[in-house]
Amino acid sequence: MIGRTTYRALTGPAGRRSSTWRLKKILLSMMAIGGLSFVTATGTFALLTSQEANRGGSISSGTLTMNNTVNAGTTCFSYTGAGTSGNVNPACLALFSSASQNYPGTPATATVTIKNSGSLPASDLGLYMASCTVAATPGAPTPGGGDPCAVGGAQFYVLETDSVGNPTYCWYPDDAAGACSFIADTLNTFAGNLNTIANALDLGAGPVAGATRYFKIGMQLPTNASNTLQGEEALFALTWHMTG
Amino acid sequence: MDKLKTTLVLMIAAGAVALFAGNGTWASFSAETTNAGGSVSSGTLTMSNTVNAGTACLTINAPAGVNNNPSCAAPITLTNVAPGVFGGTSQIQVTNTGSLDASKLTLWAPFPNATLNGTLSTIGTTTSLPITPLEGSIANTNPITLTYGAHTQTFAANGATAGGATSISVTGQTANFAYPTGTIVSSTSGDTSSANSDCYDAIGTVAGTAGATKGTDLNFNTTSGNPMCATLLLSIQETTNGQYYCWVGKGSSPESATGQCAMPISVGLTTQITNLATVTQLNVAPLNGNIASGDSIVVRNGSASQTFSASSNVFFGATTIPVTSVTANATYPTSTSSVTDSTTLGTLNSDNVDTIANFNTLHNFNLGKIPMAPISSNGNVDLLSPIALSHFNTGTFTRTFQIGVYFPNPNGSTQNTMQGLVSNFGLTWHIDQ
Repeated sequence: MIGRTTYRALTGPAGRRSSTWRLKKILLSMMAIGGLSFVTATGTFALLTSQEANRGGSISSGTLTMNNTVNAGTTCFSYTGAGTSGNVNPACLALFSSASQNYPGTPATATVTIKNSGSLPASDLGLYMASCTVAATPGAPTPGGGDPCAVGGAQFYVLETDSVGNPTYCWYPDDAAGACSFIADTLNTFAGNLNTIANALDLGAGPVAGATRYFKIGMQLPTNASNTLQGEEALFALTWHMTG
Repeated sequence: MDKLKTTLVLMIAAGAVALFAGNGTWASFSAETTNAGGSVSSGTLTMSNTVNAGTACLTINAPAGVNNNPSCAAPITLTNVAPGVFGGTSQIQVTNTGSLDASKLTLWAPFPNATLNGTLSTIGTTTSLPITPLEGSIANTNPITLTYGAHTQTFAANGATAGGATSISVTGQTANFAYPTGTIVSSTSGDTSSANSDCYDAIGTVAGTAGATKGTDLNFNTTSGNPMCATLLLSIQETTNGQYYCWVGKGSSPESATGQCAMPISVGLTTQITNLATVTQLNVAPLNGNIASGDSIVVRNGSASQTFSASSNVFFGATTIPVTSVTANATYPTSTSSVTDSTTLGTLNSDNVDTIANFNTLHNFNLGKIPMAPISSNGNVDLLSPIALSHFNTGTFTRTFQIGVYFPNPNGSTQNTMQGLVSNFGLTWHIDQ
């Protein structure tokens, strides 16, 4: 009795329904997995792959820096030193000192050596004077009240030379080959017109990497200077600007 | 019942006799053949990678034994670059050296990566991974995956690691294998920003020219945030079989109709231009960039210069530039004259999109891999082609790419903080069966 019951359970009509249902469930599950795979898997199914990487590419930027030497003084660097910020050194040596007093018609000069100490060529070198202000000469007993920065005041030039001081080109005021001459009101004109980077005196293409340019800055009080210029000094800074 | 039993016993006996006595066929005639020695040989899918005229770098025999060579030659090396000035290019040739066609060729930016520079011990706890100089920068807790053959293990970075470092501090773990030198080390959560990408900036220690200032001399340059990686423009121009397609860079999105990437040129004249001569064509050294029709081509010799207008598209490698007829304003000798494309320079100077940093963040393994279907014509690819790189010595089994990098010079912007820096980066090429 027990044997017959078992036989029916495995092979009878009820058993066939169970087997078919199981098969259907398996097939449905496989369809579901296949559907999910189709929707969610977007990767490559290649069996073989090969790969390589080019590593260590390097792009090195160059440098554009400037050295500034006044007369035989200590060289000043655009990129290092007290007060330096962002490749700007605002504290290089002064060209003239109030200790060297000027007399009308007696020129004072200073040499400025500009070297491109970077690795990139400078496409342009410019020079500007942000301001020119008058002050009483230290120690002068009776300042005359005049203004050497004003019309009728000091005369000024910018001369380029070779390495031993021979004139090559007068950039200001003449803008011509050769030496410069003193012309009336030129300090006033320079300070008034060439006072920012945007409108700096264009000194042409700057020195290439490692090269040096030599300048002589001339200054004098006019021979017919007014007595009001006695005991007065002009305070100004010259800024050299190099562009890559 | 007895009859039935008898019948059954006889059938059992007959079966037993058949079992023991007969196991062949009972036909009267027979014939038989055997195909012996059958074999199935698998093919190979391997590749090589050659930068310029260098030695081919092979995926086979790669140190990690996974058909993945992470240390091919640098894709490009440029020194003493300046903003606004032609940078340079290099050429990479990718070759299928295997016996099977590759259905896909894919390019992407690698994750920050290196290879082990020592063997890990399976005894004790590993807290530091000795590596070749790290390409890229790794943030604290970033996963660091080691791969050597079938062996792999992931550590967690224990602190930030700067690009160029030769070790990575990791949270202690025992190595599950004695990973040897050459094991691939990769930070799979890198390339998320310019500060955390395969491309990283370092302060230069070598002057661009002898005796000049170098990065380490300066106090105003910075690597914070990898500024030069985020500024340098990358272009990848395919030139396979004289057909052109811009894959990366200006001209790739949307794809230029001519297939040209905006790549600047800087070449010399090969034929002198004589003063007052009528000029309809410039003969130049092979172009290291592309020229679009109408571009302004500047020929310069010292203080003399003249601008010509290109009268047709001119492609990488060309040696002539057709120009709109014009009379020369001076003599331009071959030895001292230079030829540039001011239109392209202007276009690129205002481009802040096609940077190496963006290539890293937009086209890495996890995001934006670039599938490189074969070119069907300039500016077009055959997306349905079943083969991206044919098997060795058949069809197009080598594809050629020009890699260009340009340092843009945005108008009115000072870029002193990027003086004396070195940007380091890589490219990954991958083929599938």
